[in-house]
Amino acid sequence: MFKWFLSHQWKELTRSNFWQKSLIINIIIGFLLLIMFSYLILLGLFIDEVLKELYPEGDIFAIFNRGLLYYLGTDLFVRFFLYSLPVINVESYLHLPIKKSKILSFILLKSTLNIFNVLPLLVFIPFALKIVLTDYSGELALWWMVLMIIIILNNSFVLHYLKRRFIDKPIYLGIFALLVVSTIILDKFQIFSLSEFSSSIFTFLAYNPIYIIIPLIILGAVYGINRSYLKSRLTLEDVNAKKQKKVDSLSRVKYLDSFGELGEMILLELKLVWRNKRSRSIIMMSPMFLLYGLLFYPNEDMGGLGFYIFVGIFMTGGIMFNYGQYMLSWESNYFDGIIANNIDFQKHFRAKYIMIISTVIISFILTIPYVYFGVNILMINAATFLFNLGFLSMLLMYFSSSSRKRMDMAKSSAFNYQGMGASNWIMILPFFLLPIFIWLPFNLLGVSEWGIATIGFIGILSLAFHKSLMKLVVKRFEEKKHLIAEGFRES
Amino acid sequence: MYNKKTYKIMIEVKSLAKGYNGTIVLNIPELKIEKGESFGLVGNNGAGKTTFFRLILDLIKANNGEIFSKEIDVKKTTDWKSYTGSYLDEGFLIDFLTPEEYFNFIASVNKLSKGDVDKFMDQFSDFFNDEIIGKNKYIRDLSRGNKQKVGIAASLMTEPEVLILDEPFASLDPTSQIRLKNLLKQLREEKNLTMLISSHDLNHVTEVCERIVVLDKGNIIHDIKTQEDTLKELESYFAV
Repeated sequence: MFKWFLSHQWKELTRSNFWQKSLIINIIIGFLLLIMFSYLILLGLFIDEVLKELYPEGDIFAIFNRGLLYYLGTDLFVRFFLYSLPVINVESYLHLPIKKSKILSFILLKSTLNIFNVLPLLVFIPFALKIVLTDYSGELALWWMVLMIIIILNNSFVLHYLKRRFIDKPIYLGIFALLVVSTIILDKFQIFSLSEFSSSIFTFLAYNPIYIIIPLIILGAVYGINRSYLKSRLTLEDVNAKKQKKVDSLSRVKYLDSFGELGEMILLELKLVWRNKRSRSIIMMSPMFLLYGLLFYPNEDMGGLGFYIFVGIFMTGGIMFNYGQYMLSWESNYFDGIIANNIDFQKHFRAKYIMIISTVIISFILTIPYVYFGVNILMINAATFLFNLGFLSMLLMYFSSSSRKRMDMAKSSAFNYQGMGASNWIMILPFFLLPIFIWLPFNLLGVSEWGIATIGFIGILSLAFHKSLMKLVVKRFEEKKHLIAEGFRES
Repeated sequence: MYNKKTYKIMIEVKSLAKGYNGTIVLNIPELKIEKGESFGLVGNNGAGKTTFFRLILDLIKANNGEIFSKEIDVKKTTDWKSYTGSYLDEGFLIDFLTPEEYFNFIASVNKLSKGDVDKFMDQFSDFFNDEIIGKNKYIRDLSRGNKQKVGIAASLMTEPEVLILDEPFASLDPTSQIRLKNLLKQLREEKNLTMLISSHDLNHVTEVCERIVVLDKGNIIHDIKTQEDTLKELESYFAV
């Protein structure tokens, strides 16, 4: 049976529309991945030099182990955002004479084959080979690697459980973030040292491999919890849960009616986002972007101006990017209706534009308190705000006509997270880098402020010409609509 | 606005061809559909019925040829949308809206008033059979037959001059099928509506349509006026 599952999954992967985008984009993605891989391997190979520099006296192995709990925490956090849960279309298998336990095992097994489980190994293996094996002992290296594989798998299963349970309840994520921040603070004020704690557990376990049984038992338990949770949801009723949800209060919104057709279209967008589980969870997680400043501004070593521009674009535009890149895919269920009906595409895109700029304006207002870290930060955020508002919003709408991939919004989300993974972010990376490229030459000439002003100015300029830009957006859409519709019709 | 003058030919097809990866799926050298004509399209799976309707609605691009609606190429402008009602499949429905919200949205983009919508929902209350309006359900939670009713009703809301329905009788219950047939006949007689209807069901389509066109592998192989023995003729053709 597993053979069949594997071949179906392989076919699903290779026949996905994703690869048919364009050769150039695939090459770029491949290239970025290659760079990332080689960086990680280099990090693994030379981290001992760095550690020796930072902590001249001390046991490298123990020092390395200090970071492991931090790695596990960050890993969970990053995965929560970037990682798509493995999708297997269980509906197509449930009615067949296949044991449920096999389906479950396959879903769980598939989840371990994930890039997030491979990436840390790229650091750990070189470290184990170069340092632990040669400077310590082969036995220690072996047991340490076993331990690392166990904790990576452990994290992977913990994340699965958390993501399945809490994707719709960002409050828990907030609690988790608070927990992480408070540990960092406690560590900083040396009340409780997470790094020492981390170092002592992992060093101890590696030297006393008999105790590795403990993390192994934990792994077994987490696997079991995952399995029983999935099992409880593996009936057809849950998979296409037709919960008779009450119609929400958006149906009573009359206010937008007074704006006529455009108001009606904005209302449609709001309902689209709010009433579909997938879009709602993406939007509900978006406010996390606003916290990015807290990660970078307090720490003077991080970044510099170029990096602050990136942070600014990210904070004021995070929600926009999330909404904008899926703008048309979210409509894939009824896209034929949109193009066959007597809908004015100008207005259709105007409604989307209003949605986008509202999120950008609100995000900017919420980031104003960062002025606490300096007026220049406010200036950068204002410039990036204008750039997002005028220019990137249009660019995003222009490129939205490149979407070809259907998203099934109404499907229950228990087994379905397609289109929410890291690859979607790689696609829009150039958008983030653009303002930095604009600023870079000014910085090299020593007039960095001018660079920032230019970013803002481009935003204002595009805002002034937004009507003409909008025409370009709609023109491209009209040219591409048949291709988009065709892509959406294929699942 | 589009031209108000009356046209004898509503839809005209000229040397139309559509293929995917080198296989021709539709090939119609010439076809004219007159105003007020009820045009039934029958054929087996893959005969090209849906492809033809999608081409008329400019949902896909033809490899060759044109389709004219009131003498204007459907690719060139969107004027035809204001007098064409259509429902092909569930892909037309905005599934996270309630039926009422959907009707209001369609009314809004077609510049109809609130009063028009209420009148319309009233007219269709029999057809809806109390399962659609005021139920506080999203369209996605309706049964397939009820979704179909929403789509068909929405296509008629604007009182179109041309109506295009793909398999309208499929997944409707017997009562609704009969109601729909009566409704279509009534519209044909009273409003002189031009109808294009495809169906697998020879019974229904011969009952509603005055002209039947049989598609086979993308080609028109029969084009007949409906008479007493049309049903028999079609049945013998399809019984291979």
